[in-house]
Amino acid sequence: MQSISRQIYVWTRNLHLYFGLAISPFVLLFSVSLIFLNHTWIPLGGPDRVRQSTAVVSIPPGLEQLEGMARVEKVKEVMRQVGVTGEVSFIRMHDGALIVPVQKPGQEIILSIFPQDNTVTVARRNTGIWDGMMYLHKTPGPHLANIRGNWVYTRIWRWAADATVYLLLFISATGVYLWLVLKAERKIGLVILGAGVISFMGVVYVLCA
Amino acid sequence: MSSVPEIDRQAFDPVNAEGSEWQSFARVIDLWNGKLHCYVGLYLLLFIWLFAFSGLMLNHHWKFEDFWSKRKVSTTVEAFHPPPDGSDLEKAKDLMRQLHIAGEVELGEAPPAAGRLDFQVTTPRLIYALHADLVKGVVTLQRTEVNVWGIVHILHTYSGVRRDNPHLQRTWAGIRIWSFCMDALALGLIFLVLSSYIMWWGLKQHRFWGLIALFGGYLACGFFVVGLARLYP
Repeated sequence: MQSISRQIYVWTRNLHLYFGLAISPFVLLFSVSLIFLNHTWIPLGGPDRVRQSTAVVSIPPGLEQLEGMARVEKVKEVMRQVGVTGEVSFIRMHDGALIVPVQKPGQEIILSIFPQDNTVTVARRNTGIWDGMMYLHKTPGPHLANIRGNWVYTRIWRWAADATVYLLLFISATGVYLWLVLKAERKIGLVILGAGVISFMGVVYVLCA
Repeated sequence: MSSVPEIDRQAFDPVNAEGSEWQSFARVIDLWNGKLHCYVGLYLLLFIWLFAFSGLMLNHHWKFEDFWSKRKVSTTVEAFHPPPDGSDLEKAKDLMRQLHIAGEVELGEAPPAAGRLDFQVTTPRLIYALHADLVKGVVTLQRTEVNVWGIVHILHTYSGVRRDNPHLQRTWAGIRIWSFCMDALALGLIFLVLSSYIMWWGLKQHRFWGLIALFGGYLACGFFVVGLARLYP
């Protein structure tokens, strides 16, 4: 029995270590971008100048009438013609043009598609590494669920973000176990855990009361 | 607890270990790094669980957490004493004092019509929409209450500021405290990661495979952060 529990301890410690190291860059990404999001502030650099170009394209039939993902697929056909890739954020009509913001980490592109003239204007802007981290933090996010994840890398990122969270939950649970086996740390750990619980409950109570 | 092996940390007490003064100092740093890793992790445990779980909720929109369709809405009309002259924010705060409501104030982006004041007050549980007629001293108050899933959802993004509206400022002490908690969580997580690197490096038998895991993590994360924009310019 003692050897089984010893093995469980060793396995738990090793998984805590290796999973922790593997997801640590993602945890750093979420933590650093959390500070930026919380203060709407970026330390250095910022968005680049906008580069604009216009091209003649063939407009897929039904582009203006379709809705949701079917419309995004048609927009993707236009994007392929002008060499644009990324996640379509949304599509809206403005003065006879379809305005399509396309995003990827560190870059923002706004397509203005003019179906009457068979032209598209592409406005590209590099937004920088910090903005890219904030974008990843918020992706895929809760909005426009019917079209989000329309770029393959957004779907892969969703999987990576989910994996990070599940592993973080696993690491925190195994961390509690690893603390419990440290006999000398139990009492002080319990006090600190209690302080954390009281702080958390207290703040949430103040906010919700 | 009987099946849990008990590791007596005192057995590794560096103060009693042999070696030079520098080695002894390094061991003390190592010991305290491990202790603080444990303490910070325990203190932040519930905060980590809240943000981890609410992050999953935001990305997945599971059926059980559809709080918006289950919200409770009530509308009342109340009389108030016209607030003294001042900014729209000061008037809004005076009105809130009279109505006994608290929360983060969000004024409309466009200036209000003469004699009117429209604004919103939010807490993670309650959202008030106020439409006040300052001349007649009458306010229409719409109160929306969300359930516990709504609270969890809102807490994840409850910062009171938005990048697309630089004029927004935090006006309520509650949101300032929550914003501080978010900063503390972020800094705590950064500390947990950096202290884990020190602890891992001290375990010589785990260095190689740890390096592989770490390298794989940075490669995957770096692909998204800088790789995508370079691969698909």
